[in-house]
Amino acid sequence: MTAPAPPSPAPPRARSERFGETALAWGFLAPSLAVFALFLVYPLGRTVYLSLHGNDIIGRPDRFVGLGHFAEMASPEFGQVLLTTLLFTAGTVVPGVAGALAVVLLLEGVIRGQRLLRGAFALPFAFSVASASVVFTVFYSPGNGVLNGILYRLGLDQVPWLTSQEMALWSVCITTVWMNLGYGVLVLAAGIGSIPREVNEAARIDGATGVRLARHVTVPLLGPQLFFLVVISTINALQSFGQIHILTRGGPVGSTTTLVYSIFEDAFAYSTSDFGRASAQALVLLLVVLVCTAVQFGVIERKVHYA
Amino acid sequence: MGLSPRRHATGAAALAASLGLLLSGCSGEEGGSGGDLSAPGPEVLENLDAPVEVEFWHSMDATNGQVLDGLIEDFNAQNEGRIEVTGSFQGDYDTALANHRAAIQQGETAELVMVFDLGTQFMIDTGQTVPAQEFLDADGYDTSSIEGALLNYFTVDGQLRSFPFNNSTPLMYVNRDAFEEAGLDPDAPPATLAEIREAAERLTVRDDDGNVVRYGFGASVYGWFIEQFMARAGVPYCDGANGRSARATEVLFDDPKVVETVEWWKDMIEDGLAVQIGRNTADGQAAFTSGRAAMTLESTGSLGGFIEQSDFEVGAGYFPLVEEGDPGGSIIGGASLWINGEGHTEQEVRASWEFVQFLLTPESQSVWHAGTGYLAVNTEGYEGEEARARAEEFPQFAVAADQLADSRIDENTAGCMMGVMSEARAAAEEGWETALTSDTPAAEAMSAAADGLDTSIEEYNASVE
Repeated sequence: MTAPAPPSPAPPRARSERFGETALAWGFLAPSLAVFALFLVYPLGRTVYLSLHGNDIIGRPDRFVGLGHFAEMASPEFGQVLLTTLLFTAGTVVPGVAGALAVVLLLEGVIRGQRLLRGAFALPFAFSVASASVVFTVFYSPGNGVLNGILYRLGLDQVPWLTSQEMALWSVCITTVWMNLGYGVLVLAAGIGSIPREVNEAARIDGATGVRLARHVTVPLLGPQLFFLVVISTINALQSFGQIHILTRGGPVGSTTTLVYSIFEDAFAYSTSDFGRASAQALVLLLVVLVCTAVQFGVIERKVHYA
Repeated sequence: MGLSPRRHATGAAALAASLGLLLSGCSGEEGGSGGDLSAPGPEVLENLDAPVEVEFWHSMDATNGQVLDGLIEDFNAQNEGRIEVTGSFQGDYDTALANHRAAIQQGETAELVMVFDLGTQFMIDTGQTVPAQEFLDADGYDTSSIEGALLNYFTVDGQLRSFPFNNSTPLMYVNRDAFEEAGLDPDAPPATLAEIREAAERLTVRDDDGNVVRYGFGASVYGWFIEQFMARAGVPYCDGANGRSARATEVLFDDPKVVETVEWWKDMIEDGLAVQIGRNTADGQAAFTSGRAAMTLESTGSLGGFIEQSDFEVGAGYFPLVEEGDPGGSIIGGASLWINGEGHTEQEVRASWEFVQFLLTPESQSVWHAGTGYLAVNTEGYEGEEARARAEEFPQFAVAADQLADSRIDENTAGCMMGVMSEARAAAEEGWETALTSDTPAAEAMSAAADGLDTSIEEYNASVE
């Protein structure tokens, strides 16, 4: 489109041109800066402000409490929340990425119908968190769940999927891994498709097949995609809410209360409106996500081979 | 790959920021213009230039929402040119209350809001609404046909604070076919915990390998039931005579009666007589309707669905007593209607009251009760054409009304009035669930849960005093 011309062709032409270009650049940047400020900087500042204040009963900050909300977090309860968050993250990222990799590598050996199978494995990606979780509540239902029905017919013991403190978190993890598998398959399948044919052929001529081919050629070449998946899945896991809310509401006895769920509980559940505590925890979550991501970039990315 | 990992790492910051946005969006500046919280007379609706608009925030969806919409339509048709009510579904009770809180902050409350029982003290403390009593007194409205147990719950300090509307009470449901099969009398369902256990021992069916095929009992871990067990045992849920004579400072759900109930519940599960259900009430309902559990506890509102979904005959009985000899009161649940005064014109306040009066008529209550299964708030509603047709089809509906009519009206059956009641219910569930899912003894679990609430109660009370 046409850019606005400099207003006057003043003598020091070069300088005015540069000024005009700078102004133009800022002009183009302004909308996104405004959006950035409105939706990122302001809320972040507001979160910090709220985290330092206590609330009245309808959630208005009404007293300064300093770092009181942060000090309260030095409790075994909050430690448990962090531990649950960590377990949930590990329990979804590791099997999620490994599972997607296994599916994609195994499908490499399938010649006929590979596309169809890839499509089938990618399908969970099309489910919304809510509908997938609702389907899993039916699978896990303690009275007449589908999974326990199958176990019963196989003559196996019943599993308290969502009703035991030890099991519930893993049940939520299973649901999450299933939901994320499709995305992982999509990403890795695209990655595997972009590996040059010659590389595989060269490796084959050198006698590498099957596991060796996968381990020494395919997986290293999938490095960027695998790294991407690990980072994305970690952030997704730390943000997970829907499946926890629908499957367990953080229970039994807080055994599936992750950091995000704890924030929700303080801010919105049980009519508490405790935005101060929730904001303080939101800042801790920000820190956790930043540290995780920084560590992943610092440690794992060094080993990634970008073709 | 089109997406670079680096770009996505900023998602971390975006996440925290969006949380902040969400939270800050709910904590705007002080709102609400002055307005006196009294009840205007009918004269304010004379000589109107345009119909008065009333926005009604509620939590009724699906079938219940349709019945409510029908009533709203009828009212608008009767009041054309005068009052125009618009119903607005605001999500479940918790979400609706959160929306209302945000609206208070922005000074933009709806004229009429539906708030669940647990939010009653909170609504009083926000001081936004015109007490229901003001309308009754100003108009000389006769409440003698309104269900006493409901007035009891929503009356605080001798003043009716809100109008009961969609209310229910929990019952015990039985699988009549299973009862007959086990040689039990379905017309005399067990009335105490001990009797439930006895019946469950006969109702439980095991296969050749000893696996349970049908459990005698199964109900969700639902905090409302604790409130009901306590009301039936005649003990208060919180101090200050259930928060009715003084502000409550502690919850009492570590009462021996509750501990006994939780122990009983745990034994039932361990002995294979009851299926363990979590806090998800839908799971408890499914266990019953699928025939997996022969007895369950649920709201009166579930009766219609139970009859529809099960392929056996559904029977209903009174909610059980902890022990024989307990006084056997009954507590209500559900929501009530609050008319906002703060920031609203006299016309809007009066128009809301006109609409509430319409909802409380026997005619409306007959439609409401028959269509939803909620109690008829106005007991004359049971005589209505729709209600009678329904009672004929499903005689089980009478049990709920009888249970309430049989209930003593005192502070123990009025329920606990407390600002953090919603949190209290969650804490009771947590204590109960702790006992069921770990080795922690019931007494210890319940008292830890009760003690854990002290700070919340203290903070709440401090912020409203």
